[in-house]
Amino acid sequence: MKAINYKFREKLNSTIGGEAHGFCYQCGACVGDCPAAMYSPEFNPREILLSAILGDEEALTGENSPIWNCTNCYTCYERCPQAVRPVEVIIALKNICFEKGTNPLEVKDIVDSVKDAGRTVKITSLSDRRRKELGLKEVKIVPMEELRELFEP
Amino acid sequence: MKYAPFFGCMITVKYPQMEAAVRRTAEKLGMELVDLEGFSCCPDPIFFKATDKLIWLTIAARNICIAEEAGLDLITMCSGCTATLCEANYHLSREPELREKVNKRLKKIGKEYKGTISVRHIVTVLRDDLGIEKVKKSVKRPLNNIKVGIHYGCHLLKPSEIMRVDDPDSPTILENLFGAIGAQVIHHEKQVLCCGKACMSEAIPEKMTYDVLTSLKKSGADCMGLICPTCFDEFDLGQIKLSRKLKQDLTIPILYYFQFLGLAQGLSPHDVGLHLHKTKTDEIVKKLAS
Repeated sequence: MKAINYKFREKLNSTIGGEAHGFCYQCGACVGDCPAAMYSPEFNPREILLSAILGDEEALTGENSPIWNCTNCYTCYERCPQAVRPVEVIIALKNICFEKGTNPLEVKDIVDSVKDAGRTVKITSLSDRRRKELGLKEVKIVPMEELRELFEP
Repeated sequence: MKYAPFFGCMITVKYPQMEAAVRRTAEKLGMELVDLEGFSCCPDPIFFKATDKLIWLTIAARNICIAEEAGLDLITMCSGCTATLCEANYHLSREPELREKVNKRLKKIGKEYKGTISVRHIVTVLRDDLGIEKVKKSVKRPLNNIKVGIHYGCHLLKPSEIMRVDDPDSPTILENLFGAIGAQVIHHEKQVLCCGKACMSEAIPEKMTYDVLTSLKKSGADCMGLICPTCFDEFDLGQIKLSRKLKQDLTIPILYYFQFLGLAQGLSPHDVGLHLHKTKTDEIVKKLAS
Protein backbone atom coordinates (compact mmCIF):
# COMPACT_ATOMS: atom_id res chain seq x y z
CA MET A 1 0.00 0.00 0.00
CA LYS A 2 1.26 3.46 -0.94
CA ALA A 3 2.00 6.01 1.77
CA ILE A 4 -0.22 9.09 1.88
CA ASN A 5 1.47 12.07 0.25
CA TYR A 6 0.69 14.81 2.79
CA LYS A 7 2.79 17.35 0.98
CA PHE A 8 0.49 17.16 -2.04
CA ARG A 9 -2.55 17.34 0.22
CA GLU A 10 -1.18 20.52 1.79
CA LYS A 11 -0.73 21.94 -1.69
CA LEU A 12 -4.35 21.10 -2.51
CA ASN A 13 -5.48 22.60 0.80
CA SER A 14 -3.79 25.87 -0.04
CA THR A 15 -5.31 26.06 -3.55
CA ILE A 16 -8.65 27.91 -3.72
CA GLY A 17 -11.47 25.33 -3.86
CA GLY A 18 -9.31 22.40 -2.74
CA GLU A 19 -9.67 23.10 0.99
CA ALA A 20 -12.56 20.75 1.70
CA HIS A 21 -11.22 17.61 -0.02
CA GLY A 22 -10.33 16.01 3.32
CA PHE A 23 -13.97 16.02 4.45
CA CYS A 24 -14.93 13.45 1.80
CA TYR A 25 -16.12 10.24 3.48
CA GLN A 26 -16.47 8.36 0.20
CA CYS A 27 -20.26 8.00 0.24
CA GLY A 28 -20.46 8.23 -3.56
CA ALA A 29 -23.40 10.66 -3.67
CA CYS A 30 -21.42 12.59 -6.29
CA VAL A 31 -21.36 9.65 -8.69
CA GLY A 32 -25.02 8.78 -9.28
CA ASP A 33 -26.03 11.88 -11.23
CA CYS A 34 -22.60 12.76 -12.64
CA PRO A 35 -23.04 12.93 -16.45
CA ALA A 36 -19.35 12.27 -17.15
CA ALA A 37 -19.53 9.13 -14.99
CA MET A 38 -22.79 8.09 -16.65
CA TYR A 39 -21.21 8.27 -20.09
CA SER A 40 -17.70 7.07 -19.26
CA PRO A 41 -16.83 4.34 -16.75
CA GLU A 42 -13.30 5.81 -16.45
CA PHE A 43 -14.60 8.99 -14.84
CA ASN A 44 -15.65 8.71 -11.22
CA PRO A 45 -15.66 11.73 -8.90
CA ARG A 46 -15.59 9.56 -5.75
CA GLU A 47 -12.41 7.88 -6.99
CA ILE A 48 -10.89 11.27 -7.84
CA LEU A 49 -11.60 12.39 -4.27
CA LEU A 50 -10.09 9.15 -2.92
CA SER A 51 -6.91 9.86 -4.89
CA ALA A 52 -6.94 13.39 -3.45
CA ILE A 53 -7.21 12.05 0.11
CA LEU A 54 -4.29 9.74 -0.59
CA GLY A 55 -2.37 12.64 -2.16
CA ASP A 56 -1.81 10.70 -5.38
CA GLU A 57 -0.21 13.55 -7.27
CA GLU A 58 0.69 11.60 -10.41
CA ALA A 59 -2.77 10.10 -10.90
CA LEU A 60 -4.45 13.49 -10.50
CA THR A 61 -2.07 15.97 -12.06
CA GLY A 62 -0.06 13.78 -14.45
CA GLU A 63 -0.50 13.84 -18.22
CA ASN A 64 -3.29 11.25 -18.21
CA SER A 65 -5.36 12.65 -15.37
CA PRO A 66 -9.10 11.90 -15.64
CA ILE A 67 -10.01 15.34 -14.23
CA TRP A 68 -10.24 16.93 -17.69
CA ASN A 69 -13.31 14.82 -18.48
CA CYS A 70 -15.39 16.61 -15.85
CA THR A 71 -18.27 18.42 -17.57
CA ASN A 72 -18.38 21.17 -14.91
CA CYS A 73 -22.12 20.69 -14.46
CA TYR A 74 -22.00 21.25 -10.67
CA THR A 75 -24.37 18.37 -9.88
CA CYS A 76 -21.82 16.89 -7.43
CA TYR A 77 -21.74 20.28 -5.68
CA GLU A 78 -25.52 19.91 -5.19
CA ARG A 79 -25.37 16.30 -4.00
CA CYS A 80 -22.37 16.25 -1.63
CA PRO A 81 -23.58 15.97 2.01
CA GLN A 82 -20.16 17.09 3.29
CA ALA A 83 -19.90 20.33 1.28
CA VAL A 84 -16.70 19.04 -0.32
CA ARG A 85 -17.75 20.60 -3.64
CA PRO A 86 -16.03 17.90 -5.72
CA VAL A 87 -16.12 20.03 -8.89
CA GLU A 88 -14.23 22.81 -7.10
CA VAL A 89 -11.63 20.28 -5.88
CA ILE A 90 -11.28 19.11 -9.50
CA ILE A 91 -10.82 22.72 -10.66
CA ALA A 92 -8.21 23.27 -7.91
CA LEU A 93 -6.39 20.18 -9.25
CA LYS A 94 -6.55 21.72 -12.74
CA ASN A 95 -4.95 24.89 -11.33
CA ILE A 96 -2.11 22.71 -9.99
CA CYS A 97 -1.74 21.08 -13.45
CA PHE A 98 -1.28 24.56 -14.93
CA GLU A 99 1.44 25.36 -12.43
CA LYS A 100 3.19 22.13 -13.38
CA GLY A 101 2.53 22.48 -17.11
CA THR A 102 0.63 19.20 -17.43
CA ASN A 103 -2.60 20.77 -18.72
CA PRO A 104 -4.02 19.95 -22.18
CA LEU A 105 -2.80 22.43 -24.80
CA GLU A 106 -6.31 23.28 -26.05
CA VAL A 107 -7.14 24.77 -22.67
CA LYS A 108 -4.09 27.01 -22.80
CA ASP A 109 -5.09 28.34 -26.24
CA ILE A 110 -8.35 29.68 -24.88
CA VAL A 111 -6.63 31.37 -21.98
CA ASP A 112 -3.98 32.86 -24.28
CA SER A 113 -6.77 34.36 -26.34
CA VAL A 114 -8.01 36.21 -23.24
CA LYS A 115 -4.44 37.32 -22.49
CA ASP A 116 -3.99 38.62 -26.05
CA ALA A 117 -7.33 40.22 -26.80
CA GLY A 118 -9.40 40.07 -23.62
CA ARG A 119 -11.87 37.61 -25.14
CA THR A 120 -12.20 33.85 -25.55
CA VAL A 121 -13.54 34.33 -29.07
CA LYS A 122 -11.60 36.68 -31.34
CA ILE A 123 -13.28 39.33 -33.45
CA THR A 124 -13.10 38.60 -37.20
CA SER A 125 -14.25 40.41 -40.34
CA LEU A 126 -17.13 37.90 -40.49
CA SER A 127 -18.27 38.69 -36.95
CA ASP A 128 -18.08 42.42 -37.73
CA ARG A 129 -20.17 41.94 -40.88
CA ARG A 130 -22.79 39.91 -39.05
CA ARG A 131 -23.14 42.53 -36.33
CA LYS A 132 -23.52 45.29 -38.88
CA GLU A 133 -26.12 43.34 -40.80
CA LEU A 134 -28.12 42.85 -37.59
CA GLY A 135 -27.93 46.57 -36.86
CA LEU A 136 -25.61 46.16 -33.88
CA LYS A 137 -22.80 48.52 -32.91
CA GLU A 138 -19.15 47.56 -33.29
CA VAL A 139 -17.67 45.42 -30.52
CA LYS A 140 -16.13 47.56 -27.81
CA ILE A 141 -12.39 47.39 -27.28
CA VAL A 142 -11.09 45.69 -24.12
CA PRO A 143 -8.54 47.86 -22.24
CA MET A 144 -5.73 45.32 -22.41
CA GLU A 145 -3.19 47.36 -20.42
CA GLU A 146 -5.52 47.12 -17.41
CA LEU A 147 -6.20 43.44 -17.92
CA ARG A 148 -2.53 42.52 -18.23
CA GLU A 149 -1.80 44.12 -14.84
CA LEU A 150 -4.23 41.69 -13.26
CA PHE A 151 -2.42 38.59 -14.52
CA GLU A 152 0.55 39.42 -12.27
CA PRO A 153 0.59 39.45 -8.45
CA MET B 1 -35.89 49.77 -15.09
CA LYS B 2 -32.18 50.28 -15.84
CA TYR B 3 -29.65 47.48 -16.16
CA ALA B 4 -26.06 47.13 -17.35
CA PRO B 5 -26.00 44.31 -19.92
CA PHE B 6 -23.01 41.96 -20.03
CA PHE B 7 -23.08 40.15 -23.37
CA GLY B 8 -19.73 38.32 -23.01
CA CYS B 9 -17.65 36.85 -25.84
CA MET B 10 -19.71 34.04 -27.36
CA ILE B 11 -22.80 36.16 -27.97
CA THR B 12 -20.99 39.34 -29.00
CA VAL B 13 -18.65 37.71 -31.49
CA LYS B 14 -20.03 34.31 -32.46
CA TYR B 15 -23.80 34.59 -32.01
CA PRO B 16 -24.70 38.30 -32.36
CA GLN B 17 -28.25 37.23 -33.32
CA MET B 18 -28.76 36.57 -29.60
CA GLU B 19 -27.66 40.11 -28.75
CA ALA B 20 -29.99 41.53 -31.40
CA ALA B 21 -32.88 39.47 -29.98
CA VAL B 22 -32.19 40.59 -26.40
CA ARG B 23 -31.87 44.27 -27.31
CA ARG B 24 -35.05 44.31 -29.41
CA THR B 25 -37.19 42.36 -26.94
CA ALA B 26 -35.90 44.20 -23.86
CA GLU B 27 -36.93 47.48 -25.45
CA LYS B 28 -40.46 46.18 -25.93
CA LEU B 29 -40.51 45.13 -22.27
CA GLY B 30 -39.53 48.63 -21.17
CA MET B 31 -36.10 47.61 -19.90
CA GLU B 32 -33.41 50.23 -20.30
CA LEU B 33 -30.04 48.69 -21.15
CA VAL B 34 -27.16 51.01 -20.32
CA ASP B 35 -24.00 49.91 -22.16
CA LEU B 36 -20.89 50.42 -20.05
CA GLU B 37 -17.32 50.76 -21.33
CA GLY B 38 -14.41 48.45 -20.67
CA PHE B 39 -15.78 44.95 -20.04
CA SER B 40 -13.52 41.99 -20.89
CA CYS B 41 -14.27 38.26 -21.07
CA CYS B 42 -16.14 37.37 -17.86
CA PRO B 43 -13.63 35.26 -17.82
CA ASP B 44 -14.92 31.85 -18.82
CA PRO B 45 -15.87 29.58 -15.92
CA ILE B 46 -14.40 26.41 -17.42
CA PHE B 47 -11.00 26.84 -19.00
CA PHE B 48 -9.96 30.16 -17.56
CA LYS B 49 -11.08 29.14 -14.09
CA ALA B 50 -9.06 25.93 -14.58
CA THR B 51 -5.82 27.89 -14.99
CA ASP B 52 -5.79 30.11 -11.92
CA LYS B 53 -8.79 30.82 -9.73
CA LEU B 54 -7.31 33.98 -8.23
CA ILE B 55 -6.75 35.63 -11.63
CA TRP B 56 -10.19 34.39 -12.71
CA LEU B 57 -11.79 36.04 -9.66
CA THR B 58 -9.79 39.23 -10.13
CA ILE B 59 -10.79 39.73 -13.77
CA ALA B 60 -14.40 38.91 -12.89
CA ALA B 61 -14.21 41.46 -10.05
CA ARG B 62 -12.90 44.09 -12.48
CA ASN B 63 -16.00 43.59 -14.63
CA ILE B 64 -18.24 43.83 -11.56
CA CYS B 65 -16.41 47.03 -10.49
CA ILE B 66 -17.38 48.70 -13.77
CA ALA B 67 -21.06 48.12 -12.95
CA GLU B 68 -20.53 49.17 -9.31
CA GLU B 69 -19.02 52.46 -10.45
CA ALA B 70 -22.11 53.07 -12.59
CA GLY B 71 -24.41 52.00 -9.76
CA LEU B 72 -26.23 49.50 -11.98
CA ASP B 73 -27.03 45.80 -11.58
CA LEU B 74 -25.45 43.53 -14.16
CA ILE B 75 -27.59 41.29 -16.32
CA THR B 76 -26.06 38.38 -18.20
CA MET B 77 -27.36 36.59 -21.30
CA CYS B 78 -25.00 33.62 -21.24
CA SER B 79 -25.03 30.94 -18.56
CA GLY B 80 -21.21 30.93 -18.54
CA CYS B 81 -20.95 34.66 -17.82
CA THR B 82 -23.68 34.17 -15.22
CA ALA B 83 -21.66 31.43 -13.51
CA THR B 84 -18.45 33.44 -13.38
CA LEU B 85 -19.89 36.77 -12.31
CA CYS B 86 -22.40 35.33 -9.80
CA GLU B 87 -19.80 33.05 -8.22
CA ALA B 88 -17.24 35.84 -7.98
CA ASN B 89 -19.84 38.23 -6.52
CA TYR B 90 -20.97 35.59 -4.02
CA HIS B 91 -17.51 34.65 -2.76
CA LEU B 92 -16.03 38.15 -2.75
CA SER B 93 -18.95 39.62 -0.83
CA ARG B 94 -18.71 36.90 1.85
CA GLU B 95 -15.02 36.09 2.19
CA PRO B 96 -12.96 39.08 3.42
CA GLU B 97 -9.61 37.32 3.00
CA LEU B 98 -10.29 36.51 -0.63
CA ARG B 99 -11.63 40.02 -1.26
CA GLU B 100 -8.43 41.48 0.19
CA LYS B 101 -6.27 39.39 -2.17
CA VAL B 102 -8.37 40.42 -5.17
CA ASN B 103 -8.50 44.08 -4.17
CA LYS B 104 -4.72 44.15 -3.78
CA ARG B 105 -4.44 43.36 -7.49
CA LEU B 106 -7.30 45.64 -8.49
CA LYS B 107 -5.63 48.54 -6.69
CA LYS B 108 -2.92 48.50 -9.39
CA ILE B 109 -5.54 49.68 -11.90
CA GLY B 110 -7.32 52.00 -9.49
CA LYS B 111 -10.31 49.75 -8.84
CA GLU B 112 -11.85 48.25 -5.71
CA TYR B 113 -14.49 45.55 -5.41
CA LYS B 114 -17.14 46.69 -2.94
CA GLY B 115 -19.99 44.21 -3.33
CA THR B 116 -22.71 46.77 -4.00
CA ILE B 117 -24.51 45.32 -7.04
CA SER B 118 -26.21 42.08 -8.01
CA VAL B 119 -25.61 39.89 -11.05
CA ARG B 120 -28.45 37.91 -12.63
CA HIS B 121 -29.23 36.04 -15.82
CA ILE B 122 -31.78 38.07 -17.77
CA VAL B 123 -34.43 35.31 -17.56
CA THR B 124 -34.42 35.80 -13.79
CA VAL B 125 -35.03 39.51 -14.33
CA LEU B 126 -37.98 38.72 -16.59
CA ARG B 127 -39.51 36.46 -13.95
CA ASP B 128 -38.71 38.49 -10.82
CA ASP B 129 -38.48 42.18 -11.80
CA LEU B 130 -40.86 42.46 -14.73
CA GLY B 131 -43.09 39.49 -13.99
CA ILE B 132 -44.61 36.86 -16.25
CA GLU B 133 -47.71 39.02 -16.83
CA LYS B 134 -45.65 41.81 -18.36
CA VAL B 135 -43.94 39.34 -20.68
CA LYS B 136 -47.39 38.03 -21.67
CA LYS B 137 -48.67 41.54 -22.36
CA SER B 138 -45.80 42.22 -24.79
CA VAL B 139 -46.91 39.31 -27.02
CA LYS B 140 -48.64 40.14 -30.32
CA ARG B 141 -48.41 36.74 -31.99
CA PRO B 142 -48.59 33.90 -29.45
CA LEU B 143 -46.58 30.83 -30.51
CA ASN B 144 -49.60 28.57 -29.99
CA ASN B 145 -48.72 25.87 -32.47
CA ILE B 146 -45.05 25.61 -31.64
CA LYS B 147 -43.97 22.74 -29.40
CA VAL B 148 -40.78 23.61 -27.55
CA GLY B 149 -38.53 21.13 -25.76
CA ILE B 150 -36.47 23.03 -23.21
CA HIS B 151 -32.77 22.56 -22.60
CA TYR B 152 -31.98 24.18 -19.25
CA GLY B 153 -28.19 23.92 -19.21
CA CYS B 154 -26.30 23.76 -15.93
CA HIS B 155 -25.07 27.15 -14.92
CA LEU B 156 -28.31 29.07 -14.62
CA LEU B 157 -29.30 26.73 -11.78
CA LYS B 158 -26.19 25.24 -10.19
CA PRO B 159 -24.73 25.60 -7.64
CA SER B 160 -28.19 26.48 -6.31
CA GLU B 161 -26.64 27.78 -3.08
CA ILE B 162 -25.09 30.59 -5.13
CA MET B 163 -27.48 30.96 -8.07
CA ARG B 164 -30.74 30.89 -6.06
CA VAL B 165 -32.82 30.81 -9.22
CA ASP B 166 -34.86 27.62 -9.04
CA ASP B 167 -34.90 23.96 -7.98
CA PRO B 168 -32.02 22.52 -10.04
CA ASP B 169 -33.67 19.10 -10.33
CA SER B 170 -37.15 20.22 -11.35
CA PRO B 171 -36.94 23.84 -12.48
CA THR B 172 -39.96 25.75 -13.78
CA ILE B 173 -38.58 29.18 -14.71
CA LEU B 174 -38.27 28.46 -18.43
CA GLU B 175 -41.59 26.57 -18.63
CA ASN B 176 -43.27 29.68 -17.28
CA LEU B 177 -41.43 32.02 -19.63
CA PHE B 178 -42.22 29.87 -22.66
CA GLY B 179 -45.80 29.59 -21.43
CA ALA B 180 -46.01 33.39 -21.30
CA ILE B 181 -45.36 33.62 -25.05
CA GLY B 182 -47.96 30.98 -25.81
CA ALA B 183 -45.60 28.14 -26.76
CA GLN B 184 -46.49 24.55 -25.85
CA VAL B 185 -43.79 23.24 -23.57
CA ILE B 186 -43.03 19.57 -24.20
CA HIS B 187 -41.25 17.77 -21.40
CA HIS B 188 -38.51 15.40 -22.43
CA GLU B 189 -36.41 12.95 -20.52
CA LYS B 190 -33.03 14.72 -20.85
CA GLN B 191 -34.09 18.33 -20.35
CA VAL B 192 -31.77 18.95 -17.40
CA LEU B 193 -28.81 17.00 -18.81
CA CYS B 194 -25.57 18.93 -19.28
CA CYS B 195 -24.56 19.83 -22.88
CA GLY B 196 -21.08 18.42 -22.29
CA LYS B 197 -19.24 21.32 -23.90
CA ALA B 198 -16.78 21.69 -21.01
CA CYS B 199 -15.61 18.09 -21.15
CA MET B 200 -12.24 17.56 -22.85
CA SER B 201 -13.16 14.09 -24.12
CA GLU B 202 -14.82 13.90 -27.53
CA ALA B 203 -16.75 10.72 -26.85
CA ILE B 204 -18.59 11.88 -23.70
CA PRO B 205 -20.22 15.07 -25.10
CA GLU B 206 -21.04 13.24 -28.32
CA LYS B 207 -23.03 10.61 -26.44
CA MET B 208 -24.70 13.31 -24.38
CA THR B 209 -25.66 15.32 -27.46
CA TYR B 210 -27.05 12.15 -29.02
CA ASP B 211 -29.19 11.44 -25.97
CA VAL B 212 -30.49 15.02 -25.71
CA LEU B 213 -31.41 15.10 -29.41
CA THR B 214 -33.08 11.69 -29.43
CA SER B 215 -34.94 12.53 -26.21
CA LEU B 216 -36.24 15.69 -27.90
CA LYS B 217 -37.24 13.86 -31.08
CA LYS B 218 -39.06 11.18 -29.11
CA SER B 219 -41.00 13.82 -27.19
CA GLY B 220 -42.55 15.24 -30.37
CA ALA B 221 -41.08 18.71 -29.86
CA ASP B 222 -40.70 20.91 -32.97
CA CYS B 223 -37.60 22.61 -31.68
CA MET B 224 -35.26 23.14 -28.76
CA GLY B 225 -35.39 26.30 -26.64
CA LEU B 226 -32.40 27.35 -24.58
CA ILE B 227 -30.77 30.32 -22.88
CA CYS B 228 -27.04 29.72 -23.22
CA PRO B 229 -24.78 30.30 -26.26
CA THR B 230 -22.40 27.55 -25.18
CA CYS B 231 -25.15 24.93 -25.16
CA PHE B 232 -26.26 26.37 -28.51
CA ASP B 233 -22.70 25.98 -29.81
CA GLU B 234 -22.72 22.33 -28.78
CA PHE B 235 -26.12 21.49 -30.30
CA ASP B 236 -26.46 23.68 -33.41
CA LEU B 237 -23.37 22.61 -35.32
CA GLY B 238 -23.07 19.47 -33.16
CA GLN B 239 -26.30 17.93 -34.44
CA ILE B 240 -25.24 18.36 -38.06
CA LYS B 241 -21.86 16.74 -37.43
CA LEU B 242 -23.42 13.91 -35.45
CA SER B 243 -26.15 13.28 -38.04
CA ARG B 244 -23.47 12.92 -40.72
CA LYS B 245 -21.31 10.67 -38.60
CA LEU B 246 -24.12 8.34 -37.55
CA LYS B 247 -26.04 8.60 -40.86
CA GLN B 248 -29.17 9.34 -38.89
CA ASP B 249 -31.30 12.49 -38.99
CA LEU B 250 -30.90 14.07 -35.58
CA THR B 251 -31.54 17.62 -36.73
CA ILE B 252 -34.00 19.85 -34.93
CA PRO B 253 -34.17 23.68 -34.96
CA ILE B 254 -32.67 25.38 -31.91
CA LEU B 255 -33.61 28.88 -30.80
CA TYR B 256 -32.50 31.11 -27.97
CA TYR B 257 -35.37 32.17 -25.69
CA PHE B 258 -35.19 35.82 -26.76
CA GLN B 259 -35.51 34.84 -30.40
CA PHE B 260 -38.79 33.08 -29.55
CA LEU B 261 -39.86 36.09 -27.50
CA GLY B 262 -39.03 38.43 -30.39
CA LEU B 263 -41.06 36.36 -32.83
CA ALA B 264 -43.97 36.38 -30.37
CA GLN B 265 -43.65 40.15 -30.02
CA GLY B 266 -44.03 40.49 -33.78
CA LEU B 267 -40.39 40.81 -34.84
CA SER B 268 -39.38 39.17 -38.12
CA PRO B 269 -37.20 36.03 -38.26
CA HIS B 270 -34.50 38.23 -39.79
CA ASP B 271 -34.71 40.76 -36.91
CA VAL B 272 -33.76 37.98 -34.49
CA GLY B 273 -31.15 36.52 -36.84
CA LEU B 274 -32.62 33.09 -37.53
CA HIS B 275 -30.83 33.08 -40.91
CA LEU B 276 -27.50 32.80 -39.09
CA HIS B 277 -28.23 29.39 -37.56
CA LYS B 278 -26.49 26.31 -38.95
CA THR B 279 -29.57 24.14 -38.43
CA LYS B 280 -32.41 25.43 -40.58
CA THR B 281 -35.28 27.07 -38.77
CA ASP B 282 -37.68 27.15 -41.76
CA GLU B 283 -40.16 24.77 -40.14
CA ILE B 284 -40.56 27.13 -37.21
CA VAL B 285 -40.98 30.16 -39.46
CA LYS B 286 -43.64 28.25 -41.45
CA LYS B 287 -45.54 27.49 -38.26
CA LEU B 288 -45.48 31.18 -37.35
CA ALA B 289 -47.19 32.06 -40.60
CA SER B 290 -49.85 29.37 -40.38
